[in-house]
Amino acid sequence: MAEQTQVRKYGYNIPISEKTLQVPWEEKVRVIEEVKSDFRFKEYLFGCLNCGVCTASCPSNRFFDYSPREIVQRFLENDIDVLYDMMHEYIWACSQCFTCWIRCPFVNNPGGLVIIMREVAVRNAFEATKDLLKPYGRVLLKVMTTGNQLSADMLQPDFFPDWGPKMLDNMENLRAKRMAIPFDVGKSVKTAWEVSLQTAIEMYQIWRETGIFEMLERLDPNLYNVIMDIVEENEERWEELMEEMEEAEA
Amino acid sequence: MAHKSKSPYLKYPEKEPFPILNKHSHYDHLFEEMYELEEKGEILVFRITEEYRPKYVYTRTGRIKVIPTNKLWHHKSCGQCGNIPGYPASIFWFMNKFGLDYLNEPHQTSCTAWNYHGSGTSNPVALAAVWLRNMHQAWKTGYYPLIHCGTSFGSYKETREQLIFNKELREAVKPILKKLGRLTEDGRIVIPQEIVHYSEWVHAMRDEIAELYEKEGKAKGIDVSNVRVAIHNACHTWKMIADDYPYDPEVYNGQRPAASTAVIKKLGAQVVDYSTWYDCCGFGFRHILTEREFTRSFAIQRKLKVIAEEIKADVIITHDTGCTTTFEKNQWIGKAHGMYYPIAVMSDVMFSALACGAHPFKVVQLYWNCSNYEPLLEKMGITNWRELRKEWEDTVKYIAELEKQGKYDELMEFFKEYDLYEPYSKTSDGFKYRKSATSDLPLFKS
Repeated sequence: MAEQTQVRKYGYNIPISEKTLQVPWEEKVRVIEEVKSDFRFKEYLFGCLNCGVCTASCPSNRFFDYSPREIVQRFLENDIDVLYDMMHEYIWACSQCFTCWIRCPFVNNPGGLVIIMREVAVRNAFEATKDLLKPYGRVLLKVMTTGNQLSADMLQPDFFPDWGPKMLDNMENLRAKRMAIPFDVGKSVKTAWEVSLQTAIEMYQIWRETGIFEMLERLDPNLYNVIMDIVEENEERWEELMEEMEEAEA
Repeated sequence: MAHKSKSPYLKYPEKEPFPILNKHSHYDHLFEEMYELEEKGEILVFRITEEYRPKYVYTRTGRIKVIPTNKLWHHKSCGQCGNIPGYPASIFWFMNKFGLDYLNEPHQTSCTAWNYHGSGTSNPVALAAVWLRNMHQAWKTGYYPLIHCGTSFGSYKETREQLIFNKELREAVKPILKKLGRLTEDGRIVIPQEIVHYSEWVHAMRDEIAELYEKEGKAKGIDVSNVRVAIHNACHTWKMIADDYPYDPEVYNGQRPAASTAVIKKLGAQVVDYSTWYDCCGFGFRHILTEREFTRSFAIQRKLKVIAEEIKADVIITHDTGCTTTFEKNQWIGKAHGMYYPIAVMSDVMFSALACGAHPFKVVQLYWNCSNYEPLLEKMGITNWRELRKEWEDTVKYIAELEKQGKYDELMEFFKEYDLYEPYSKTSDGFKYRKSATSDLPLFKS
């Protein structure tokens, strides 16, 4: 391992964790190749002047140890150790604003490279990714079961004390206040708008066909079980509804 | 200029409308490819025909972008409906005012791109399937999709580009759409001619909005001429697929995005420039929920503080869900560090609705805002906001009482009058399958 570290020709100050150094080289190459084989990769990475305009305008760079220029440079250098290490925590600092993309004179898209890396990190169920996404579980539950990513009942004041005292007031008598929203599908509490069951059933099919449920099972088995309970219950409701419709038509 | 293309979807003006930096846009080539795929019978382009009353704007490459203004299928935003409900309500209010036809149905799913950018728990095939499923639903109804959310808009623009230029993605998504029954009868994928954000609709309708302000807003004593406005453009509208968003010679000579700024100027309010106009808000997708110290630090230090100190604006005008939430919810916490810069925050369409005389609480739903909007209302001349708020609170009590007593029929009758949507509960299938994903009330109450 030490030998591999020494052959890195360029003295960039990105420390590599012990954990990464202990991972077999072939495994690290496999993961990085998975990133590079994504069809978007060639559309996101071109040349690089090292001008740093991406990093200078990056919001995450102001508060985290994160630089979009480093993402681009590491790929151009094929720096397997650093890239593999970045995939565990570093990449999750990106705000996905794509300021780097619009500013890059070479039209590189570091934010796009990050999203491919995140996707591969999730698909490979890295431990760090699992930990990092734990607090995000409520969004995953909502989106996987209803197709909505946010609903009024998710904005509980206990979770958002930093949003101030008006939040407390907003949540009182929430149900009636939601009904006072002046358009019909917007009156729901558990979803952002009332999503028809038919639409949710189509979403479940998409998740199944594209491997999203499998990926979730690897990432968080408990959350996966909760999600699948709701999905199966809704699928049963849909089947019942279809039967009722058939009987009514007959 | 005046590049000639055989594609009916790619047009430029005879003369450059403003100095153009990028004259060789790879993105614009998409409209030629799209036409070729249509000619080959692989896709069906959902065209913006005369029934959609098209208007025309320029993108930053000088391309003429077609904006449908009538007969629209509302692709709602989960962040807006769940958190800033006055945002979509203001859009519907304007459509009613202008007598436009639209469809706002429950057969729509979120784009799921907020989740993707935040957590990486999806993939391009799933994103494309979700997008095409929604577009097919709109096409089936004959109403043209209007995308409310900036992230949906950005993600859909990018997904379309990937889909048009990558055969493998089309081949991966097609069997899924077939299973869902979301291809045309002859097996083609439905792709819209233009992907249109609501802020582009507002931009295209700015003359009509200004006219309504003159006619109805001013009659109510509303005057926005002294209001100082800071514009914040949303990253996913203009930085993601940057060559597909309006620019206009009247807004910084075509060198900055035109939507929002143009309508605010048209209303006669004072758009004031500030040094960090380019920065994002700090939303970060995952960060707003799980890295909140970053979001609030960035929002306060790079935007709220700068806007307060440099230009003393009365309001920050946005055109997306995440930015509105971030600026609006992260003010109070600044008190902990002596960095409290109270300022009203709302979208272009909410501000425009207020200017044109919409009810601040029933329509614009300012009740849900955590920021101080009251000084702005006073400055705009909406000095009776206390009575209007009381009126809305009484409505909430009335609704709560009816529900408590189980008087659902009465409640539904009340909504028929109260709600903006006309005719009430219009959907493409007449609610044949009246069940929701969560069995929530009251729309799906059997």
